[in-house]
Amino acid sequence: MSTPVRLGAPGRARAQAGARRFARSTEMTLLAVGVVGFTVLAVDSHGSLLHGNAIRDVLTYLTVPILIGLAQLVVLAAGQMNLAVGALGGFLSVLTAGLMADHGVPAPVAILVAVLAGTLIGAANGALVVATQINGFIVTLATMTILLGLQYRVAGTRTIDAGSAGLRRFGSLSVLNIPVIFMLALAVAAALAFFLRRAVAGRQLLASGGNPLAAQLSGISNSRALILAHTLSGLIIGIAAVVTVASAPGVNKSIGGDWLLPSFAAPIIGGAALAGGSVSVLGAVLAAFIVRLVDVGRAQYSLDPSWVDFTVGAVVLGTVVIGRVRETRQTRNASPRPGADTDTEADADADAEADAPTVRSTA
Amino acid sequence: MSAPTAEHAASEVEVPQPSRRRRLDAGTAQRFGLLVVIAGLVLAFGSARSAFYDQQLTVFPLLRDIAVFTVVGLSQMAVLSIGHMNLAVGRMAAFSAMFMGLAYQDWHLPLYPGLAIGLLAGAAIGALTGWIIAATGVNSFVVTLAMDFVLLGLVSLVYAQTTTSAAFTTKPAGMDALRTYSLADVCAGPLCGSPAVPQLLLFAVLAMLIVGYLYSRTRLGRELLLVGSNIKAAELSGIPTTRRVIGAHALSGTLAALAGFLLAVTAGSFTATIGSEFMIPSFLGPVLGGTLLTGGAVSIVGTLLGTTLTQVIRQGLTLLGIGLESLNIYLGAILLLALSTDRIRTVISQRRAANPR
Amino acid sequence: MTAETSPSPAAPVLSAERLVKTFPGVRALDGATLTLRAGSVHALLGENGAGKSTLIKILTGFHRPDSGNLAVDGAGVALHSATDAVRAGIAVVHQERNLIPEFSVAENITLRQVPATRGLVDRDAVRTRAQRCLDLLGLDLDLDAPVKSLSVAQMQLVEIAKALSTDSRVLLLDEPTSALTLAEADRLFDIVRRLRDQGTAVLLVSHKLEEVFAVCDTVTVLRDGASVLEAAPLAEHTRDDVIALMVGRAHDAARLAPRPIPADGPPALELDRVCTASGHRDISLSVRRGEIVGLYGLVGAGRTELAKALLGLDRVLSGEIRVHGSVARIRDVRQALNTYRIGYVPENRKEEGVFLDQTLTTNIAVTVWTRIRRALGYVPRRRERELAVEYTQRLGIRSSGPDQLAGNLSGGNQQKVSLAKWLAARTEILIIDEPTVGIDVRTKAAFHQLIWQLAADGLAILLITSDLPEMVTLADRIAVMRDFRITGTLANDHDYETASRAVIGLIHGADPAKSRNQPHSRRPA
Repeated sequence: MSTPVRLGAPGRARAQAGARRFARSTEMTLLAVGVVGFTVLAVDSHGSLLHGNAIRDVLTYLTVPILIGLAQLVVLAAGQMNLAVGALGGFLSVLTAGLMADHGVPAPVAILVAVLAGTLIGAANGALVVATQINGFIVTLATMTILLGLQYRVAGTRTIDAGSAGLRRFGSLSVLNIPVIFMLALAVAAALAFFLRRAVAGRQLLASGGNPLAAQLSGISNSRALILAHTLSGLIIGIAAVVTVASAPGVNKSIGGDWLLPSFAAPIIGGAALAGGSVSVLGAVLAAFIVRLVDVGRAQYSLDPSWVDFTVGAVVLGTVVIGRVRETRQTRNASPRPGADTDTEADADADAEADAPTVRSTA
Repeated sequence: MSAPTAEHAASEVEVPQPSRRRRLDAGTAQRFGLLVVIAGLVLAFGSARSAFYDQQLTVFPLLRDIAVFTVVGLSQMAVLSIGHMNLAVGRMAAFSAMFMGLAYQDWHLPLYPGLAIGLLAGAAIGALTGWIIAATGVNSFVVTLAMDFVLLGLVSLVYAQTTTSAAFTTKPAGMDALRTYSLADVCAGPLCGSPAVPQLLLFAVLAMLIVGYLYSRTRLGRELLLVGSNIKAAELSGIPTTRRVIGAHALSGTLAALAGFLLAVTAGSFTATIGSEFMIPSFLGPVLGGTLLTGGAVSIVGTLLGTTLTQVIRQGLTLLGIGLESLNIYLGAILLLALSTDRIRTVISQRRAANPR
Repeated sequence: MTAETSPSPAAPVLSAERLVKTFPGVRALDGATLTLRAGSVHALLGENGAGKSTLIKILTGFHRPDSGNLAVDGAGVALHSATDAVRAGIAVVHQERNLIPEFSVAENITLRQVPATRGLVDRDAVRTRAQRCLDLLGLDLDLDAPVKSLSVAQMQLVEIAKALSTDSRVLLLDEPTSALTLAEADRLFDIVRRLRDQGTAVLLVSHKLEEVFAVCDTVTVLRDGASVLEAAPLAEHTRDDVIALMVGRAHDAARLAPRPIPADGPPALELDRVCTASGHRDISLSVRRGEIVGLYGLVGAGRTELAKALLGLDRVLSGEIRVHGSVARIRDVRQALNTYRIGYVPENRKEEGVFLDQTLTTNIAVTVWTRIRRALGYVPRRRERELAVEYTQRLGIRSSGPDQLAGNLSGGNQQKVSLAKWLAARTEILIIDEPTVGIDVRTKAAFHQLIWQLAADGLAILLITSDLPEMVTLADRIAVMRDFRITGTLANDHDYETASRAVIGLIHGADPAKSRNQPHSRRPA
């Protein structure tokens, strides 16, 4: 056969355009929601939200949500979960502050220790998941319990003030009303996005999350991808902890206690597939921004803080349900080949695979 | 739980013998191990501090806590049986406790009708969660996590609206009594029970009996296990899997509600924070007790023992003055250890189940 | 069409000698030998359970043989992993789709060896290399399209391109056309011929003899784990020879005694112009009490889907299903069982038939709990064990007792358990889907006897099987399905020659143009 085979080109182009449109739309929708939300809040506050201080405030308290969202995102990419995000962040925060306040360790050293410890503990999480062959959920539940104990042991009932003027300055420094720590978070996001898109290790991580069997058959080590994901998660949490110490007036045993849902909310609202293999860094950042807006709005209208939990929970629930519905509709549309029933069977299998192992592995 | 397998092999299949599942053997060993560890710890704590045996100061509150957290563990176990999980255990308890508080304060209901309303609320919210999971096929983890936050927000809002101090202070008749009553207050003629055993424990025992009966003796419970074992085969065997998934979550919600009630009775009031400490213990009890994370098998006695172990450690550490900050470290380490044994068990059972092609 | 060229025997690229592989309970391979030469397309044939997939798995590093030799270019090799196989130049296209759905076509093709500089993916090199693989195949696909947006056929081709991305000299194709239309399959085989001409040694595993005779040069036939025909030129064999070798003595179909089929009253199960949501069109079929009706067709003809529609797992859009003469509206499996007494023994017993981690008793009694339960849902243990014991003995399930875990039984016994639960439930209509896949010959014969006996006891049986000898042995009538339609029903005279010819005729005879180019629509117009 000499002429190139062209298979269903128009259909493909259409599907592709559709896919591209969809990919764009998730982030576009988030962007639109963010912009509209912010505008409404700004107008309704008679412009006071646009003042330098207000902007700085919004962005400062957006830093940690972005970072913990990214920490969760990178494990979700590998088809894992990290329950210990909050506990690890809390522990590292009090560790950093404690080192400086109690032992007079200079700030750069303490920061280094925190980031290193985060990375190592993350790696340990990954190694445990690989060794026990149990889903990351339950393993990180166990390490979370241990870390909560460690955090309490370090902090006790006091609030630790790191007492480092330099670090404090770093935490409140801003350029053109944009806090430096916020830029740091964006830099981490950009680096992670680059890593996941361009680095061989990043691609392998996503491949492993997307289809572990195929990855294995292609000579990719799923264990390595998994450990790498948890390690990166730990590293990012280390950075989040340093930012927390730098920007908060003091840290105590309850730091990190409320990080769990926000850490899942950002990547999930941002369009990450829970089964792994598909994440959007931009989407997660935008989602974190929207969640932050909910909080800003709550403060602006002096509503009960509980509204934030309620709204975010409801939005996450809505996102997964809608995402699932859309996914089902897509797979239904994307099987244009009814000529073979293996087609549907395979689809059903793929569905079942997506379900069954999650159901089983989450357990 | 002896039923040596060799006996079966020898006697072939002629006579139906009292059923004893073979795979429980490994589980039995695990539970026996737990029992030994608990006994050892009790002896150790007791010899270090004789106050550990004090009926009023230690044993009574210990048993009361065991009662509460065993029910919490059963609540988690109900969804583990189908291979799901419930991260909203605590908030479902808070949600139901809120209804009980409302029932007592605003509707002036007596103790038990109020409890019934709370249990219904728990069952309803559990069923809703199960329905969302079954209908969308989304991972139970995410659904219950989001549900956790929805309920957290909702409960706080309602408390802020309807109470002055974030707690329902109205106590129905009998609630205080229930808190302090022990079996010493239950007399059959001249014979009274031990003052060390709180009456609240009876609720936990009742729950264990009902759940145990359900899983070992009834069609419903056994079908739940089969849904956990292999949902496709269950569907093709005529088991209504959607209804069973909803049922398991409703059961979980009901038990969470009961746990919320017990905790409220213990604490003396219905507050928004009820259940905020439930999540980790809810997994510890069943997992330590040998309930498979993958579904298909549960152990009620194991859940009791797992819970007892964690509570004995907690009580012992408090008594030794070590401070509770270390508690979580030990519990986490024990959980990791238990996970490894769980893994070993799974490997063994898989190897046994390894099929000729 | 026969092989166009008879290449002079080159030195073997890959040879496997006297491979033996035993799994608990089954000797999957018992001295299989396979030799692949450059520039030749080799067929590996054998019935289900003959050991083909085990052999493929050994060649790709998934399993290790208990004994026997593997050699590449005459030098012995040991394959411990998929990577080892790739390194040895062996590439495989599996039946399962092994692609990363979110990744682009180019990335999937190059996934085995990602071109990279200093840890970063070299995207241009990825595209160039992927394009080269596509060019090699004469394919025109958008390199940047995510694989999940492709059709099944396109995915299959991407898999082949992926297999070629590493300099593989041996290409194993495991049922590559099972998801393709005939036209697409033709294109695939053009590519295979081109690869052969470029010097690749190709192994084709297929159950479709037409395509084997169309593209293959040589053939190895496996039976019961051993090679009964080794690397023989296909041109010297007829289709019937090959079938005879594949089925062995089962060929002159074990004849079972004739059974009287009571002709009174309405059929137990009757389908009247049934159309379903999964694409069946005008399915009319009837099964009487005591009758075995076979449903034959290629994989993908829609047989299992029809069974599932009868269980209420698929929507019936139009037409009527009648059970014992009265119209049945079946909503779910429980209703199919309790109201209409229909049971289904699924094709994939491990995934759909048995609960591996549960006891024999539970596995058999699951369908009768509804019947034997008492107040408060109480299921009497004694009653359920009695039932389990009764059916264990009736079906001759070899176990250590009713408390044995189903996962510890052999495949044949598991299949019997999967059947037993429906007998315990006193079903009157039984749909049995591929009952003897992966079951050794002796157990198979016993199974046939069992199914025959069930019919003799008055059950109406709808038998789905791709195993033609099995069909000829068991069925009283054979309905042939293609593309979700029934193309004809014929009475079975239990003579393999005539029956197989008639069946093949029904599969390929009618309206070939349509089946080539026009995949039927699965949705209602």
